[in-house]
Amino acid sequence: MKTKFLFPNKFKTLGWLLFIPSIIITMIISLFNINTDDYLNVTVFAILSDFPLSKPEHFLFIKNSIVDELLLIGLVCGGILVGFSKLKIEDEFTTKIRYESLVWAIYLNYALILLFTIFVYGMGYMQVLIHNVFTTLLFFILRFHYMIYKQNKSLQDD
Amino acid sequence: MTNNLKVLRAIKNISQEDLAKQIQVSRQTINAMEKGKYVPSTVLALKLARFFEKPVEEIFSLESED
Repeated sequence: MKTKFLFPNKFKTLGWLLFIPSIIITMIISLFNINTDDYLNVTVFAILSDFPLSKPEHFLFIKNSIVDELLLIGLVCGGILVGFSKLKIEDEFTTKIRYESLVWAIYLNYALILLFTIFVYGMGYMQVLIHNVFTTLLFFILRFHYMIYKQNKSLQDD
Repeated sequence: MTNNLKVLRAIKNISQEDLAKQIQVSRQTINAMEKGKYVPSTVLALKLARFFEKPVEEIFSLESED
């Protein structure tokens, strides 16, 4: 089937290879509150460098730990490839499941944002916003693959 | 919308898997249509009509809530 905006099926494996290690490491860092500032310190180019207790600076080279940057790139690129690569057999039904999962994920994500906006304050809320960079994608991927799994299971049950 | 795909498939003696291959969709799609969980696009409906050599109206029919 002709599809707009989807990657070829072979990119899905690459997506999983990026996404799964990134999400596991991110979970571990979040759960155990690990400080990654001392790892992978390299010189990076900053359009804006704005840390607490110092003046914002523009267009300069700074030293920075790139652990969080690498993880986020892995999560986003991996997640996009997993969520938006064609399935082995991509047809109008899988397109419908993809669309509905996306709607579901957006609703869930914004429901959580509203909930956290009302009940979480201070630095905790910063954590909510940081995680929000990839949660929509994560919810979508989980929902989409669960729905596909359910369809496959209902085939086996017949 | 209802359909009699399952009956037509039985008459032609063709499995879900083979029908799916013939009209280039997944087996899940055929299964979901037969269970009434999925309403196919016009393209898919016409492909099925061509395969079973019947007008679309003899395969699919509207229900009162449609």
